[in-house]
Amino acid sequence: MKAKRHKVLVANRGEIAIRIVNACLKLGLDFVCVHTREDHASGHVRLAREMGGEKSLYRVASYHDASELLAVADAAGATAVHPGYGFFAEDFRFARRVVTRDRPLTWIGPSWRVIRELGDKINTKRLARRLNVPTVPGSDRPIYDELEAEDMAAKLFAFQSEQGFDQHVVLVKASAGGGGMGIEEVERIDVFKSVYRRLRNYAKRQFLDEGVLIEQRLFGFNHLEVQILGDTSGKNVVHFGTRNCSVQSAGRQKRIEVAPGFAPAEINYRFDAARVLNDITEYSLRIAREVCYDSVGTWEWIVTPKGEPFLMEVNTRIQVENGVSGAIAAIGGIGPVDLVAEQIRVALGEPLGYDQGRIGLKGASIEYRIIAEDPDNRFAPWVGRIERFDWRREPWLTVHSHVPTDTPYEIPTEYDPNLALAIVTGQDLAEAKARGLAFLDGLVLAGRNAGGGELKSNVDFLRKKTDTLLVF
Amino acid sequence: MLNVRELLQSIKDSPYELIEISAPHTGVVTFAVTEPGARVSGPSGSLLEKPGTQLAILERERNKKPLSAPQKGVIEAVRTELSGTFVEAGTPLLTIRHYLTADEVVDRILKKALYLFLAPERAKYYFVPEVDKKIKAGGSRSVRLTDGQELFIMSRMKREATLAYSGPEGQIYSVYFRVNENVDTGQPLIGVCPGEQLPLVQEVVAKVRSEWGEAR
Repeated sequence: MKAKRHKVLVANRGEIAIRIVNACLKLGLDFVCVHTREDHASGHVRLAREMGGEKSLYRVASYHDASELLAVADAAGATAVHPGYGFFAEDFRFARRVVTRDRPLTWIGPSWRVIRELGDKINTKRLARRLNVPTVPGSDRPIYDELEAEDMAAKLFAFQSEQGFDQHVVLVKASAGGGGMGIEEVERIDVFKSVYRRLRNYAKRQFLDEGVLIEQRLFGFNHLEVQILGDTSGKNVVHFGTRNCSVQSAGRQKRIEVAPGFAPAEINYRFDAARVLNDITEYSLRIAREVCYDSVGTWEWIVTPKGEPFLMEVNTRIQVENGVSGAIAAIGGIGPVDLVAEQIRVALGEPLGYDQGRIGLKGASIEYRIIAEDPDNRFAPWVGRIERFDWRREPWLTVHSHVPTDTPYEIPTEYDPNLALAIVTGQDLAEAKARGLAFLDGLVLAGRNAGGGELKSNVDFLRKKTDTLLVF
Repeated sequence: MLNVRELLQSIKDSPYELIEISAPHTGVVTFAVTEPGARVSGPSGSLLEKPGTQLAILERERNKKPLSAPQKGVIEAVRTELSGTFVEAGTPLLTIRHYLTADEVVDRILKKALYLFLAPERAKYYFVPEVDKKIKAGGSRSVRLTDGQELFIMSRMKREATLAYSGPEGQIYSVYFRVNENVDTGQPLIGVCPGEQLPLVQEVVAKVRSEWGEAR
């Protein structure tokens, strides 16, 4: 960053765009934001207007239009692209185009080769199996043929019968999906075909690829993650601990994340929880080193009630929940750690500058995703106008939000109705939970929809789930 | 009862529509039409395969996108001061004054005559696969609807839900939405013609066509 003053194109929206802008400001970098017509009132637009210099905000047709983003990068004189999460974050073709065009830009994320290798769930599964890392039983390539899919499901049902499982269920997943979208369960082989066809059509509409995976459904599991960071040398790979993301909506969208992933000092588990955390961390690092991982990334794990871990997938991007890991981390005793800033710093060519021994993890943190939705109606998104949104500022609380607190905000239907991420920290899980409840109790959130109906949110759901966090 | 004559007269009093041409995406704009008053044509050919008069070119990532007139008309205004500059998506570029065609007038009047099934929420709408197949095979008018029939897939915020038709029995006479485009709350999705009203609707169409022809 010293040799060349970079300007970062923030190719995303909402709270992650705000976090990227703030990281740029912290690192002394220029930035340029984009927004769509529907997103004109988003906080990231306001921040760009207030903090950006010349050519720091452009209206685009879509966040999904690669040419649009790159045209803005050129017009604004950007030198690097941060994709945030979603949109192009895990699109290796876009990452490749960014770095190989006539006017190449720096890609702030894993190299396109790494994204290609790990972004493909099937490839990851094969790689993991080669490195003796446990993976979920099921197909190891996308299936496009109905008979083949049915045959695979029948084999998994037979396997579950042989193993004496109480419930026989297989998962049908859109191969190109992610983030919990495009997953359905099938309990009987005779209804498999109709579910398969429905999901295949959905996958074609949403992801333009009708390939599906057929996997064994594991019950009563916990969903854990390992936060990895590597620099562009591909040789320096470290971790920032584990997270537990088991509190999810009906559609398997995460709602609460906790770091670290288990709390063996405060909760009794039927298995050696500390060993499981250590195992998944070591397995994740094994794969990261093998592929010379060169940015932030998340290894996603399923842990069964017996404490058996299975690798689910690797997310080759910064994740929504990175802040919950950064909140309890320190480098050389200085924390919290801004993983977005770390990601930008290493992408722009700086060496990592520390090893695992200098990273400390202390205490516990909880991230609540505040969302306008109706948990009693399968978490159906709520659309309307946010009229009041505020909270009490506390030293143990960080809130990331693109929703203004000083003016009403209309939720655009084009995007998820996420309102904020609230991260609370404590010296242990008990303290973090008590603070979490205090935050939720004091949160002011009100609004109405076009029909006059009151805002529906998941705040009560979050409150109810807090008491049993990390109990397994 | 529908007063076709009155409706037609109100349209005749102001038979124009101002069409604003905006930049569909970012890019450097150059204008092919620079003078107000110039006459432009809309798409032509039996399948409208021939584009209308070229109005401007928007260049982005070394791709030149021609912007053509979507309708026949006269140029009302051109923002020539933007020529050669990088414009944002949605930037207004030109305005066309368009004289309504008979089909457009019919469409406007039919919106008053047909039963309109409205979008309950801003979302993208698709016909359910069975209906979609029928429409592709025989056109929208081949589909007869009954109250409670599952008709749409409503997609928003990555969620999908089926939407049943509610209204009188009849055939789909007009479809007002496009695939993969958002429809605002309260905007019509389809116009349904109840069986007993079909002769009346056909009469309205014939009457408008002849009357509008006289007016032109």
